[in-house]
Amino acid sequence: MYEIQLDACPECDLLIHAGQPEVGEKAHCPRCGCLLHRPTQNSIERTLALSLTGLILLFPANLLPLVGIKLLGKDQDGTLWSGVSALFAENMWALAVLVFLSSMLFPAINIVLSLLISGHLYFRRFHPALPNWLRWLQHLGEWAMLEVYTLGIIVACVKLSSMAELHFGLGLCAFIALLLITGMLASNLDNPLFWRQIAQLNHEQNQ
Amino acid sequence: MSKINNSAIRQGLIRCHDCGTLSQARQRRFCPLCGCRLHGRIPHSQQKTLALLIGSLALYVPANLFPIMTITKFGVGEPHTIIGGIIALANSDMVPIAALVLIASILVPLLKMLGLALLLLYVHLQWQGHARRWTRIYRVILFVGRWSMLDIFMISILVSLVDLGGVAQVIAGSAATAFAAVVVFTMFAAKSFDPRLLWDNQDYE
Ligand SMILES: [Zn+2]
Ligand SMILES: [Zn+2]
Repeated sequence: MYEIQLDACPECDLLIHAGQPEVGEKAHCPRCGCLLHRPTQNSIERTLALSLTGLILLFPANLLPLVGIKLLGKDQDGTLWSGVSALFAENMWALAVLVFLSSMLFPAINIVLSLLISGHLYFRRFHPALPNWLRWLQHLGEWAMLEVYTLGIIVACVKLSSMAELHFGLGLCAFIALLLITGMLASNLDNPLFWRQIAQLNHEQNQ
Repeated sequence: MSKINNSAIRQGLIRCHDCGTLSQARQRRFCPLCGCRLHGRIPHSQQKTLALLIGSLALYVPANLFPIMTITKFGVGEPHTIIGGIIALANSDMVPIAALVLIASILVPLLKMLGLALLLLYVHLQWQGHARRWTRIYRVILFVGRWSMLDIFMISILVSLVDLGGVAQVIAGSAATAFAAVVVFTMFAAKSFDPRLLWDNQDYE
C-alpha cells in the first residue's frame, strides 16, 4: 500500500515520505524543523527496566522526608505530602490539589503507565486499553513536574538558610533519583515504535 | 511555485492527534488505531486559546497585586508579593536565585502571554512568511510554561516547613491561587493552539 510510507508532520501538516531513521539519527520535518522521530536503542526493554526502578523509588521519594529544618530548637520535616496537607490545612484546597497532582499523582501515574505499556509490549501481550494508556501517557507528561519541584526545593532552602538550620533527608536522594529516572524514561520512550508495536499486536489479535 | 501546499489535509488525509496514524478524511471519523475522534485541526483552536489567554491575563493582575505569602514572626505578619519576594532575595545577596525566580514567575508568564497573542494575530490576520520562526516560538512557549510552577512549589514547601504557630509561620496568600491559575490557563492555552494554522495560510512553500 502507498499510504503506509506517508507521514504528516504534527506541527505543520506537511506530507512526508517517511524513511526509518537509524538509532542515533534524528528525523526532522524539512519545512518547519520539528523533530519527527528519534529512535533509541532497545526502547521497550529500557522503558521496562527504568519504569520498574521508578516504581520502587516512588515509595521512598513519597514517604521519606525531603528536607528538615531546625527552627528555634524545634525540628520539622517536610515530605511531598506534608506540602500538600499544609496547604489544605490553610484552606488553599485548589493549590493543594494542583501541587498533589503535579508532584505526586501524575509522576506516579506516568511510571505505572510506562510499566504497563512496556510490559505488555515486551511480553507481546495484547490489552484492549493499550492505545488509551499510551495516549494518557502522552497527555500527562507535561503535568508531572518533578524537575520544577526540585527547583522549588532549592529556592525554599535558600530562603530558609538565613533563619533556620537545614538538613537533607534520605527522601531527597530518592526524589532526585526518581527525577533522573523520569527524565531518562521521557528521552528513551520511542513513541512511533510503541505505536507501531501496538498496531501490530492489534493486527495479530484481530486475525 | 505559488499556491502549492503539500499539507496532508489538502490531500484529504488527517493525521491522528494522538498516535500519528494517517487516515482518509472522508472515510473515517475515528482513528483506526487508537480510537480517538479525528479532527483535521484542533476544533475551535483560536477561540479556545483566546479565551484562556484573556482569562490568564485577567488573573495575572491580582496575582501580582496581592500577597503571594505572608511570613509571620512572633505574631507580626509580613506579606510578600511576587516582586517583593524577588527583591527580598536580591537584598540578601541571593542574586542568582532572585534572577531564577524573576525569570520563572515574571518573565516567563508575560512573554508566554505576549507570544500566544502574537501567534493568534499571525493566524487571524493571515500574515505571510517566517512561519518556521513562529513555529519555533510556539515550541518554546509549550516547553517553558510549566517552569512557572516554581513559586507555587516553593510556597508549599515553606508552608509545610515553617509552622510554629504564632512564633513563626508561612501562610499562602490569595495571589498564589491566582498565579497558579495563570500558569494552568496559559498551559492549556498553548495546548489548544494548533501550530498547523500557521502554515495553512501561507501562499508559498
Ligand atoms: Zn513540519
Ligand atoms: Zn490515533
